[in-house]
Amino acid sequence: MSEALVAVETAGADTAAPAASGARQFWRRLRAQRAALVAAAVVALLVLIALGAPLLTALEGQDPTTYHPSLIDSARGGVPIGSFGGIGADHWLGVEPQTGRDMFARLVYGARVSLGVALAATAVQVVLGVAMGVASGLGSRWADLVLSRITDIFVSMPLMVMALALLAIVPDGFPRPVLVALIISLVSGWSTTAKMVRAQTLTLKNLDYVAASRLSGWSTWRTAVRELLPGLAAPVITYAALLIPSNISAEAALSFLGVGVKPPTPSWGQMLTSADVWYQAAPQYLLLPAAALFVTVFALTVLGDGVRVALDPRAASRLRIGTGRRREARADKAAPKAGTAATATPATATSANVTAAKKEDRA
Amino acid sequence: MNGFTGFVLRRVIGAVVTLFALSVIIYVVFYVTPGNVAQITCGPRCSPAQVHQVAQQLHLDDPLYVRYWHFLQGLFVGQDFSTGTSVEHCSAPCLGQSYQSDQQVTSIILAKLPVSFSLVLGAMVIWLVLGVGTGVLSAWRRGRFSERVLTAITLAGTATPVFVIGLILMIVVCGELQLLPFPEYVNFTDDPEQWAWNLLLPWLSLALVEAAGFARLTRASMLETLAEDHIRTFRAYGVGERAIIARHALRGATASVIALNAVTFGSAVGGAVLTETLFGLPGIGQELVHAVKVVDLPVVVGMVLVIGFFVVLANAVADVLYAVADRRVVLV
Amino acid sequence: MRQPSVITRRVAAVSVSLVVAAGAAACGPKDNDAKGSGGDSAPRKGGTLTVLNSEPQTDFDPARLYTSGGGNVPSLVFRTLTTRNRENGAAGSKVVPDLATDTGRPNKDATVWTYTLKKGLTYEDGTPITSADIKYGIERSFAPELSGGAPYLRDWLVGAADYQGPYKDKKGLSAIETPDSRTIVFHLDKPEGEFPFLATQTQFAPVPQGKDNGTKYEAHPISSGPYKVVKNENDGEHVVLERNTHWSAATDDERKAYPDTIDVRSGLDSSVINQRLSASQGADAAAVTTDTNLGPAELAKVSGDKQLAARVGTGHFGYTNYIAFNPTVKPFDNPKVRQAVAYAVDRSSVVNAAGGSALAEPATTFLPDQKSFGYTPYDPFPAGASGNAAKARELLAQAGYKNGLTVTLTHSNAKDFETSPEIATAVQDALKKAGITVKLQGLEDNDYRDKIHSVKTEPGLFLAHWGADWPSGGPFLAPIFDGRQIVKDGANFNTGLLNDKSVNDEIDAINKLTDLDAAAKRWGALDQKIGDKALVVPLFHPVYKRLYGSAVKNIVISDWTGVLDISQVSVK
Repeated sequence: MSEALVAVETAGADTAAPAASGARQFWRRLRAQRAALVAAAVVALLVLIALGAPLLTALEGQDPTTYHPSLIDSARGGVPIGSFGGIGADHWLGVEPQTGRDMFARLVYGARVSLGVALAATAVQVVLGVAMGVASGLGSRWADLVLSRITDIFVSMPLMVMALALLAIVPDGFPRPVLVALIISLVSGWSTTAKMVRAQTLTLKNLDYVAASRLSGWSTWRTAVRELLPGLAAPVITYAALLIPSNISAEAALSFLGVGVKPPTPSWGQMLTSADVWYQAAPQYLLLPAAALFVTVFALTVLGDGVRVALDPRAASRLRIGTGRRREARADKAAPKAGTAATATPATATSANVTAAKKEDRA
Repeated sequence: MNGFTGFVLRRVIGAVVTLFALSVIIYVVFYVTPGNVAQITCGPRCSPAQVHQVAQQLHLDDPLYVRYWHFLQGLFVGQDFSTGTSVEHCSAPCLGQSYQSDQQVTSIILAKLPVSFSLVLGAMVIWLVLGVGTGVLSAWRRGRFSERVLTAITLAGTATPVFVIGLILMIVVCGELQLLPFPEYVNFTDDPEQWAWNLLLPWLSLALVEAAGFARLTRASMLETLAEDHIRTFRAYGVGERAIIARHALRGATASVIALNAVTFGSAVGGAVLTETLFGLPGIGQELVHAVKVVDLPVVVGMVLVIGFFVVLANAVADVLYAVADRRVVLV
Repeated sequence: MRQPSVITRRVAAVSVSLVVAAGAAACGPKDNDAKGSGGDSAPRKGGTLTVLNSEPQTDFDPARLYTSGGGNVPSLVFRTLTTRNRENGAAGSKVVPDLATDTGRPNKDATVWTYTLKKGLTYEDGTPITSADIKYGIERSFAPELSGGAPYLRDWLVGAADYQGPYKDKKGLSAIETPDSRTIVFHLDKPEGEFPFLATQTQFAPVPQGKDNGTKYEAHPISSGPYKVVKNENDGEHVVLERNTHWSAATDDERKAYPDTIDVRSGLDSSVINQRLSASQGADAAAVTTDTNLGPAELAKVSGDKQLAARVGTGHFGYTNYIAFNPTVKPFDNPKVRQAVAYAVDRSSVVNAAGGSALAEPATTFLPDQKSFGYTPYDPFPAGASGNAAKARELLAQAGYKNGLTVTLTHSNAKDFETSPEIATAVQDALKKAGITVKLQGLEDNDYRDKIHSVKTEPGLFLAHWGADWPSGGPFLAPIFDGRQIVKDGANFNTGLLNDKSVNDEIDAINKLTDLDAAAKRWGALDQKIGDKALVVPLFHPVYKRLYGSAVKNIVISDWTGVLDISQVSVK
């Protein structure tokens, strides 16, 4: 991704604001947004479902791998017998065509893989991106050049080639979900994170408090850990919230190309891949994983927005002066409120930052 | 102007280094990839002696560096290939010849590129209209219920894989409602009207996947602008919200949308594999996936270089456009 | 089967045996009259037949094609010495003359075969077809530039093993004689009663030496059949055939050639092909497919719609999916363990995984259940429809595995519903009931093929499949069970590493027979004898179901290919 873009994508997260404002303030601001709270609850619920998959399926009395040939119509391609895919007291969400495996069990176990892969991939992307970004931002000119080229190479490499390369080199005993997470994270995400972090590092490097620490003779390492990382937290968290949903979709794409998680391990991507042709004969087979994927991505995005706002006081103020409240706007016209005026001050920082980042970036 | 020349020069050198490294990586990776290329090319029932002959024919037994050297030779001076009855010269820049189909890689690429471009260009128009449109609407209605609905709709496009969206669109629009023919690629030069009708569904499917990104970005950068001092001043002077959105906030978002568009375009030229596969469009992405599966190294290297070229180019273009649109940015 | 078209082109085309011949389908042998097919009038000439395919016709060179007639479309362009009988069902597995006046005249021990060409045969440019052109066509198939054909010519012709084709070796093959322009004589190393079957392959199509341009020949191969190539775009992605006016129906009893034009469009997703055929609008009404089956999901939809169901052709191609053992790997060196697996297998769940009872039939014999193969019903380890776990446990206990055992099942990661994860998990689930814990080892396609076909790396337990090169027991049993066909330094198909003198001798004895019916009976008996050794566990034979457009008439599906024969189809 282009440097220009990365700078804009995270716009809104106030990088220059010292983390000192604290976690308490963050929570306070997050709690103030109802939509974000609901989204957070949904995400938490999904994570709980994934973690508690064995419990939930035990409650239902099913498991995700046992075949139930008596529940499908073999002569008609294995379509589930009964309405809505065989939904009933035994199988809460019906059974899978061709095998008769329990859909509920596969869905909740699939959540484990899909969420696990997405979260793990995001973690790798963030760690790798921050490490590379900080290294090229603080390192020598040559280190910067080499690291930036490596980043470029990964940006230009097509997903499929990369997937095949890793599949070929890694022994097949290697756990497949981990491999899928690695493929996703190596091919996408980390390089853009690295570019963004590098730009922010270059900006932060010249801020007084960081410069002071460098001048006082602290090692580069110590500077990075003590002074830079806290400053990077806000934009990185914001960006990570954008990465998770795209990683979930990437898992589905890899499944479609036949290089995803292997059966019998269920994943939402794999379910979608085998379910798309069943759209007419057994719609619920497609709709269930599709709905699960949608709810997850939607909740994560809304939560991401909320986090962004909570990390960025200006964003919060934007919502307050929103057009929705004309009366308030009119009141503003007469005499800007003290609060608005106060929050306006740091606003100038961002555009300056983008510019500064751009300038430094190309140096 | 001088600054711009310097920028271009640096970008060109960077691109050459990147592409060179990509080709080396692919060669090394395919060297360790399982799959007996000679056996695949010859056929599963070929005897060891025949397989050996084919391996010799394709120089598969040569050490890695020799094979890479042949590749470079082809690139800079061209290469000769035997058809059995005669010798064909493939002039520089020659990317070699497919192991599987005996076609020259450059001619394969030239045949596939128009398809990929047709797909991505049309889809681009739709994702821009759709993405920026919903982005503007959701910035305007920010924090309201209607914004959530809009967000949900655009995200549904991103969250649903393209092979699901595309197939359902086809079943409903072409199969049940019979509004459109089932897509099949028609050359633009042969029949522009048919070209467009046939590509309409692929465009829509690809655009639905990409639109959400544009919507999110438009919304974010518009909100960014709306928080700036001068907008506050406009508001204070009683400029209407619609005018502010249309005249100022949207303009502020232009730069970033242009940048994202260049990048999305560049990566979709070789990356719309799923769309191409589902709709049977013989483009770059589909060919690359096939070549990888049959370990057709010359085709893979050629395709990766072309895709890499477009990604690198798109990034450079994005930066230039960004600088032009937002004069605060300086290209150094 | 649902299978993204991205998977493999040539690999699939030549894949372990004739996936291509597993071509199209239409009305089954039982409901094959024109009634079910949208029109009740007699077939008439004219119109355009559209072919919607997933795999492009990348190879259109007679030297490089594998199957009889190169499959469906090439068989419209290439005539061969003999060809398959274009009739429904079992009658369609007979071999009949094509360019030759008969199916071949053997000498006493079937080592010399003589053919005479019909009179008045010409190419698309009106020049006469000679026996020397057929000899040349065979010779060029030995060139490494044009690899891809079946191994039989190299194995059977005298002195052919190291021949490198006419480009390198101008002297040619002395095993083929052409005493005059209409006679051709083949000299074989050993008796081969099935030579007439081999002569159906496209290597036996005439190629005029003057028109041969090596690897470029496939762009415009010279036609000897009813159609000629007028367009070949993007390496076989879009091929258009039109009438060859120099072809005469008087010399060709097999090809009907009703449509004026054949328009082959490929690179389509298989689910899209089936959607288009079921919608059957516009030009798609006169469309068929020669490579895409109905998948289970599509079958579920089609079977609920009478009009659609009437447009489904059913066919049986000689093909077996099975579990293979490597008896040199522990614990499969113990026959009791192999037998236990055979008893434990639940064929009904495997059949379901393969698409249900309409798309797969449970198999207990290695030979396909067709008379021409010599099918003899037997079941050495009767497990019932869904496995006999108790019997399996008993055998395991006898073998010293009282508490069960853990094994690894190797399979491919392809989406073919044959050696793919779906089948593997069905086997895994069944074996669990018998106390056998199965660990799955899924390999990428190329890796899988390399591993199972190399003596050095062959796993102990894996999924495999085998298809007929022609409808007879010979090419079905010999490559898998003939001890002399074990290949130590290349692609090996005798995965059970069986080298049993009595089996080898019986194979030689049957090959001497030129009475194919008598040979078939003995292949069947041999299959049963090998079956007792439990080197393989047959799982299922696939059934091909394919849709065709509403205007398509005169559907013929032979047991040879199992798919609709486009040389018989009419669209008027």
